[in-house]
Amino acid sequence: MAFLTPLLTRRGAGLLGTWRIWRDTLRFAGRAIVFACAPSAYNSATRDVVMKQIYFTAWQILPLFTLFAALLSYMLIQIVVSTAAQFGYSEYALELSVRMLVLEILPLLTALFVALRSSSAINTEVALMKIQGEIEALEDAGVDTLRLEFMPRVIGGVVSVLALVTVSSALTLVLAYVAVYGPQPWSLPDFSRVMAKVFDAQIMLGLLLKTLAFGLAVTVIPVAEGLATPRKLFMAPVSVLRGMVRLFFVLMLIEMLSLAYKYT
Amino acid sequence: MKPVMQWLDDDAGRRALIAAHPESILVSPDLPLRANLSVLDNIAMIPQYRENLAYDAAADRAWALLGRAGHTDIAFRRDPDLNHEERFVAKLLRALIAAPPVILVDRPGMLLPDLHYPPYLENLLARLEDLPNDCWILDYRWNAPLYPSR
Repeated sequence: MAFLTPLLTRRGAGLLGTWRIWRDTLRFAGRAIVFACAPSAYNSATRDVVMKQIYFTAWQILPLFTLFAALLSYMLIQIVVSTAAQFGYSEYALELSVRMLVLEILPLLTALFVALRSSSAINTEVALMKIQGEIEALEDAGVDTLRLEFMPRVIGGVVSVLALVTVSSALTLVLAYVAVYGPQPWSLPDFSRVMAKVFDAQIMLGLLLKTLAFGLAVTVIPVAEGLATPRKLFMAPVSVLRGMVRLFFVLMLIEMLSLAYKYT
Repeated sequence: MKPVMQWLDDDAGRRALIAAHPESILVSPDLPLRANLSVLDNIAMIPQYRENLAYDAAADRAWALLGRAGHTDIAFRRDPDLNHEERFVAKLLRALIAAPPVILVDRPGMLLPDLHYPPYLENLLARLEDLPNDCWILDYRWNAPLYPSR
């Protein structure tokens, strides 16, 4: 029995640590959302941070990401169209392509892209701010860091994910039209009928909620993980590693919940 | 801004004195600048946030303070590119622009390790003499011989 006590103590400490970080993440998400909804939270400084975040997260990567999304979408649409034709289901090719790409692949791909590019940077920056005492220094100077540094990053991240999903989805719809009907405008009524069938109000609301959840996850988790970093420099890479792993699982969980809701 | 010496006997006394003045702003080796912002932005950020000033107006105020301290040359540099003296000036001006009643300069020997800091502090604070803040210099009693006798 002597070996059992230290084992249980270690496991218990680990579990408590995991519980604390999830609790802090949810608490931070709640506070950020409440702050974001209050007009009084915005001033000249917070607006600047929001704009910088949108610039770095969405605007800077827009050309490359759009090109990548367009190429991938066109390739997948062609695969679906040709496979559907082989099996004699050509009439379903457009609907299948749009459902697969716009509702599932593009939002997840965008969230993963932003996670790799911006979330890792946010996690590192917040962890270093915590370790070096920059947060404490700002608080001492009368600056609320949640309002100035973290809430604007969450808003910027959410807006960026929404914008990138919108741009890539719109482009994909154009590519799907061209791939299925060819470069001519006469099939627009048919295309509109299929789109109306796919994008009913419930699906649109689900897509919006999923994209918002992705946008929140790619900023809230790295910030919360960065804030939970102990003030030791060697913990910075550990913090980023943990943050990215947790973010990956949360993104997958959101996608799985969305799939389960739609298709079961 | 006239310097007032606060002699400390130990670290506990230093902490107690800081804790007793929550309205003050600390210039301390433990409270760094924002590493990814220039000196100008570090200083301008305070009025921009606290007074909702537009960036240009806040930056003008920060620039004016840098000019008075004789350090406009560091305005666009970031923390890792500063020496101890320049970093100290940036931290002091960041505290000053917030206009607290008291600024606490915490252990100047650690902030300015390469300088004979008592006369340097005196000269720097003399340039900012007309500003309304009080400036308390928190130094250990055993450093008292370093300061010129008045």
